[in-house]
This record gives sequence, C-alpha cells and structure tokens, in this order.
Amino acid sequence: MLLDVVNLVVEVRGRRVLKGINLRIGKGEVHVIMGPNAAGKSSLLASIMGLRKYHVVEGKILFEGEDITGRPSYERALKGIALSYQIPPPIKGLKVKDFVSAILSKYKCSVDYFIGKMLEVDYLMDRYLFVGFSGGERKRMELYITLLPHPKLAMLDEPDSGVDIDSINKIADVISILAENKTSILLVTHTGHILSRLVDKGSIDVVHLMMNGKIVFSGIPDEIIPLVFKYGYKEAIEKLQRLDKNE
Amino acid sequence: MSEWLRKIRERAEKALEKKAKYGPDIDLSKYSRIEINEIDDIIGLASEPAKRIGLSDREVSNAGYVQVNEKIWHGIIVEGLKRQGVIITSTGEALKKYSWVRDYYWRNISVDLDKYTAATELYSNGRGYFIYVPPGVKVKVPVYTCLFITSSWEAQFVHNIVIVGDGAELNLITGCVVPHKIVGALHVGVSEFYVGRNAKLSFAMIHAWNKGVHVRPRTSVRVMDGGSYISYYLVHSDVASIQAYPSVKLDRDAKTHMASIILGSSNSIYDMGSEAVLQGENSSAEIVSRVIGRDESWIAARSRIRAFTSPSRGHIECLGLPLSKKATIIALPELESRVEGAELTHEAAIGKIAEEEIEYLMSKGFTEEEARALILRGFMRVEVPGLPLQTQRLIDATIKLLTEKATG
Repeated sequence: MLLDVVNLVVEVRGRRVLKGINLRIGKGEVHVIMGPNAAGKSSLLASIMGLRKYHVVEGKILFEGEDITGRPSYERALKGIALSYQIPPPIKGLKVKDFVSAILSKYKCSVDYFIGKMLEVDYLMDRYLFVGFSGGERKRMELYITLLPHPKLAMLDEPDSGVDIDSINKIADVISILAENKTSILLVTHTGHILSRLVDKGSIDVVHLMMNGKIVFSGIPDEIIPLVFKYGYKEAIEKLQRLDKNE
Repeated sequence: MSEWLRKIRERAEKALEKKAKYGPDIDLSKYSRIEINEIDDIIGLASEPAKRIGLSDREVSNAGYVQVNEKIWHGIIVEGLKRQGVIITSTGEALKKYSWVRDYYWRNISVDLDKYTAATELYSNGRGYFIYVPPGVKVKVPVYTCLFITSSWEAQFVHNIVIVGDGAELNLITGCVVPHKIVGALHVGVSEFYVGRNAKLSFAMIHAWNKGVHVRPRTSVRVMDGGSYISYYLVHSDVASIQAYPSVKLDRDAKTHMASIILGSSNSIYDMGSEAVLQGENSSAEIVSRVIGRDESWIAARSRIRAFTSPSRGHIECLGLPLSKKATIIALPELESRVEGAELTHEAAIGKIAEEEIEYLMSKGFTEEEARALILRGFMRVEVPGLPLQTQRLIDATIKLLTEKATG
C-alpha cells in the first residue's frame, strides 16, 4: 500500500475538520474525492501533506509503510507526496524559473519538457510566481510545479476550478497521462469535464464521497458519478447508502 | 591658488562645524589620513573585501578607477575607452588638465552644505573619480570604480564627478569596501553627476562596510531634457552609521528610477533617503526601497518627490520587513507639490513574511529556513528597468548569496 490513512481525526484551531477518515491508495491507483463545500476534502489533502495548521488529534498516516503522521511537510514532499494547491499564494520577487531550478536541484531531477509543453508554462518563466496570473495560468503552473519532482502520490485539489475550457483540457490531458504512467493520484474535483475524460479512459479506480468530515461512501465511478450529477450530493448519497443497505 | 578655488575653500572652511540635517554627528578630528603602497598589494588586499561585494580579482584589476585609502590606481580598461574620447581620471587631475571641469565642480551640490562636503573640499586633495563621456558615445560595458579603506581610524574623502554628454550612455558600478579588521574609519564621498540631453546614466552601488565605519555620501544628480538616471543601491553589511540623501533634479522629459536595498544588521544605523525634484515638464520619478531589519539595527528609509511643474509624475514604494524584535524600521515617504496637476503617489508598508508563503514552499520540499531564504530573495529583488544585464547578474548573485546566509 502506498498510502494508508487510518482513522484520521484532524482539527484546525480547535475545530474538527476530519472525523475519522480511512483511506488506502495503492501504487498507480487513481482516487477521486467528491463532496459539497466544507465537506473536508481540502482538509484531507492538506492533512496528508502535513500543512502546519492541521493538527492530527487521532489516527495516523502511513506512506510506503512508514508512519509519517508527525513529520513536517517538506519531509513528506521529499518522500514523494505532492499537493497541488487549489489557490497557491503569489510570491512577489520569486521568479518562476528560479523556483523551478531550486526544485530541480533539491530533488536532483530534470525538467519534463513534455508536461511543460502540454501545460504551456514556458512563457511564464520570467514572471514572479503566481503574481498577476490568470485563473488558468495559476492552475497550469501549480500543476506543473507539483509534478516537477515526479511524485509517487500527486494530490490535486480542484485543478479545474475557475479555469477556462482550454486550460481544463490541458489539465485533463496531463492527469490522464499521469494515470497511464502509474502515478498514484488523489483528485478533488466538482466538475464533469475532467471526470468524464478520466472515466472514458477507465483511469479512475475509486470515487469517495465526503460529507461533514467523513468519507460517507466509496465505490466505482460508474456507480457514483451519474447519480451525483443527476441528484446532487445530498440525494445521491442517500440513494447510494440505501442501495448499499439493501444489498 | 586661483581666485575661484580660493572662494570655494573659504566657504568650506566656514562650514567645517556645520552639522548635517540627518544622522549621528561625527567628530572629524578623530580621523587621520594615511597613505599606502603598490598595486599588487592592493589587489591582494582588496580581494577579501571585494569578494564580499561579489567582485573578482579580475574585475578589481580591470576597474576603471581604484582607490585604496588615499592612493589612486587606474585600471587597464581606461585605455580602451580613451579611443572613444572617454576620460577617466581623478578629479584633481581633471581640474588641472581641463579648465572646463570647474564648471562642474561644486555646481550641483553646495560646498557648504554641511561639515562633510566642507571637509571633502579641504581634505580630498583631488581624490575621487572623474568620468567624462563625450556626446553620443555609448559605453555599454559597465565601468567599475572601487574605493577601499584598509587602515583603521582613517578618513577617506573623495569628490567624484561624472559627466555624460548629450545622447551618451554610461553604466557605472561602484563598491566601497572595508576589510573586517578595520575598527574605525570614516568615508565621505561627494558625487556630482551630470546627465546630458537624452543621455543615460546607470549607477549601481554595492557596499560592504563594517562595524566601525561611518559613511556620509553626498550625491546630487542633474538630468537634462529627455535624459535618464537609474540608481541601484545595496548595502548589506554592518556599519557604524550611514547617512545619505541623494537628490536628482529632472528637467523636461527626464526620468529617474532609484532603488535602495538595505539589509540591516547588528546595531548599525542606516539613514538612507532618495529625493527626486521634478522641475521640468513631463519629468517622472520612481523611488523604490526594500528594508530588512535584523538584530538591533536602526533603519530610516526616507524618500521625497517634489514637483515644481506639471504634468509630472512620481511614485514611492517603500517596503519594510523587520526580522528581529529589536530592529527599528522607519519608512518616511514624502510627497510635495508646488503646482496643480502633478501626480504623486506612494505606498509604504512594514510587514512580515506571510505564513502561507512559507507553508506553500515547505510543502514543495523546502525546510522553513530555505523557504524564508527564497522569500527574502524575492523581497530584496527589485526590478530596475534600464540596468545592463551584467549589472543585474552581479546584483542577483550577490542577493542570492546574502539571503542564503541571512535567514538565521
């Protein structure tokens, strides 16, 4: 098992955001997390990454069998976990190209020109990181940066939100390629576009539905996605749970 | 002594006790002036401090003007430029050789401004660099000038004059350097710069002083119609105290961009200003400063734009970043208009490193210290349009080096 999240309970400033999460992701698997706003999707990703304001109250996180629960985020990153932020912060004065070369030398890796071309980030290299970027530029750049060190587990937090359709297509293509290349993916998304593309290619292994800090249902995409788009989260979850019980 | 010079000296003598408006007062009588030796010694001697400002031996020996303590050494580079009619010499030599130089001597700045300008006139003995670029000549390769102090309790007085003819271009890089062993010294540099019509002067200063050194530069720049003056000032070392308030007067269509980066440390006092005077129609100025306060440093970042004509535009941006509980940063942007229709704006902020930026960088694999270094490097990095690539590279390399060791 690449990632094993066991009964994880997490608080942010005393507020409980995750209430006992169990999640196992194998090598090369693609997991999608869906759910309404404030369900805890981003908190789950942030907790796995080890961001500082997410305090683990109970449970643990294992990565390649090793307990990483108390480890700082940079150690987790170096072990092969990467998080693509939903909204990365602009960093004035830090040039993209300088940041890219800092990452390359830190991970002793080389640039993936193919991914760079697909995400069309070359023209942004002389800019300051995320400063004045459009929605699409920001997402494409953040995905590019996330993938630079060739992570074993790429966690993508709504890589398609607030983005023009051209950028969505590019991002979807890149995620498909990652899946084909056996990078494990944990993807948070709301929109059908990326999902349908991944479903068409048969890339998605499991879909998890989250609500109120819990994973309330997990299953295969064909079972879940059509219901979610037809009925919305709340009703879809009720129907799925009813079906589950009847079985 | 000729009559015109005697008049100047008289004024200087009367001003020897006149305190400066800003900065701690220095007792000039505590310092002596000592002479030294051979160029080889100097390169050897200069190596250590020069490396602190990012200059290699080669750059030191190729410099246009090198002054160690009170001795002047001219570099090889001068010969090549001579053919283009460029003059690089000491101010004293220039005054002797060319009678027209006196029209630029104490014309931009008053000899009796304060005790430091006065003492420079009385004690500099013609030291300081004189650079003349004939009209239309563009000197693309940066000209280095270096001033070194190598003995303790020495006062170095220099009077620099730079004249860039109409349509000409000059890029200057200067570094004043003091080795770590010097316990007390005083550097006073008077600089009068004249930028001709549609001419361009860029001036990058990268300074490494040390704990015992007081520094009192007095700089005044006149930019004629359509000309531009770009200055970049980086001070990144301890200093006893430094106080400077360079002033740039801009004629019609002239513009200036002045950037100061101050990385304060120990209990040093930095009182640094930049002034732009918009005196010609359509003149414009941009003054940018970045201030980092560490240890118990005390830093005042002053900036002033004065508009006497319209249309004219000016903007001040001053950002401070205290990195210590005991550091003091004072940001003082001043806007003054004597006309209707001048557009003057400013932005001043003293803040802290954003937690979310550190968090973001850490999640990408960087330790907290490395993340801070990356952010600091970004903070100190100021885009200065018009600086030649070589100069920009030297600055970038220096800042990279500094931020790697500045995060502790």
